[in-house]
Amino acid sequence: MELTRRSFLKLAGVTAAAASLTSVGYRKAQAAPGERLRIRYTQEFHTICTFCGVGCGIICNVRDGVIVNAEGDPDHPVNEGTLCSKGSSISNVSYVFDEKGKPVPNPNRLTNVLYRAPGSDRYEVKDWDWALETIAKRIKDTRDRTLEEKAIVDGREVTVNRTNSIGWLGSAFCTGEENYLFHKMARAMGVINIDHCARL
Amino acid sequence: MKAQVCLIDASKCIGCRACQAACKQWNQLPAVKTEFTGSYENPPQYSCSTWTKVVFREYNENGRIQWLMSKQGCMHCTDAACKLACPTGAIYHTDEGTVAIDRIKCIGCNYCAAACPFQVVGFDRVTNRAEKCTFCHDRLVNGLQPACSAACPTGSLVFGEEREIISKAQARVERLKYKGNNNARIYGLDEVDGTAMLYVLADKPEKYGLPADPQVPLGTRIWSAIYGPLRILVVIAVGFGIWANLTKNKELDKAKEEAQEEKE
Repeated sequence: MELTRRSFLKLAGVTAAAASLTSVGYRKAQAAPGERLRIRYTQEFHTICTFCGVGCGIICNVRDGVIVNAEGDPDHPVNEGTLCSKGSSISNVSYVFDEKGKPVPNPNRLTNVLYRAPGSDRYEVKDWDWALETIAKRIKDTRDRTLEEKAIVDGREVTVNRTNSIGWLGSAFCTGEENYLFHKMARAMGVINIDHCARL
Repeated sequence: MKAQVCLIDASKCIGCRACQAACKQWNQLPAVKTEFTGSYENPPQYSCSTWTKVVFREYNENGRIQWLMSKQGCMHCTDAACKLACPTGAIYHTDEGTVAIDRIKCIGCNYCAAACPFQVVGFDRVTNRAEKCTFCHDRLVNGLQPACSAACPTGSLVFGEEREIISKAQARVERLKYKGNNNARIYGLDEVDGTAMLYVLADKPEKYGLPADPQVPLGTRIWSAIYGPLRILVVIAVGFGIWANLTKNKELDKAKEEAQEEKE
């Protein structure tokens, strides 16, 4: 198309008129971005908040392995859909957003077993098999070494089969059934110092 | 007339700021680096990445300490000053009665922020756009409640149908008065022709940092009264200019042709 001075002016005039028409409101206001739900086509996972001992239920929306949203589970009896400020920001535990808004794995998150030997001043990276085996071995050693079979209670000797050298901590992030099993396991080993973080 | 409103019961607010975190989480707003200012109110200012915040106010009157807190942000006024002030028509009322900013039309002139009686419009210096609470419009149209009210653990934020929420607010005020708080009141029912955020306050609105009598600034009213017709005038003038140009050109063409014919 040959662009002469006149046709350019005509074109400019029509464009300006069209532009001013839109600002008067002949065009319906542009729908705000995000009218489609941000979490559509995501997979929902139920989980428990990892911060305090209340154990609120959370629904995580996951797309391509990245948590895009996390909010309170309305069907959970503990929080009934609500969350506190820490729980609301729990998606940042796994993914944080860089300057460009791209999700990147949180660099502060622990992904390995870290072991600090007694008397050492640094942590070493270990694998899970080693860690579980070591824990089991040490529990067994301590328990066998310190087990009291009999104790004097109210002036008479009774069978107690207990160890005072191990402390056992339950977890609010497990279900009641799981905590029941933990409790049974601790009792079976003779551990009597049993506690739980949800001591509210 | 708002279809769905949010009740903010300041007497039930414990200041946990779950609404603030949930807002940032849902709207994917970045955190703001701040310094301790002596109050739990943090960040101290609204900005493009802080659309809502819990406002803390402390008073010590005759040895009686009053610690007031409430969630504040865009009120989604029916008589919205920002909408009147906006020169490009970027701010509009949605079908749900909320006030939204069209990000494509916004030119970043910041008039809305200056006109807002609640001072809640933030400005994004990077994208040069005004940003404020959207009442989670994307959630509303998909049948969900706003992120802030979904997160509130104490029932301070309740989302629902307008009539139901107003009766709830009235019942709460009566309850507070029965308990001996004669300063309890509803805020947002008549202010700026009704807002989508209805407050139950335990004391005067000034004590919560809210304006006692929010008004659309007179300058904004005059500006919109002049500017509204002026925009139509501009369109008419441009149309007239094009028409005049075309007809004049045709006349010129004719005159040229006639001149050529005469030459021939």
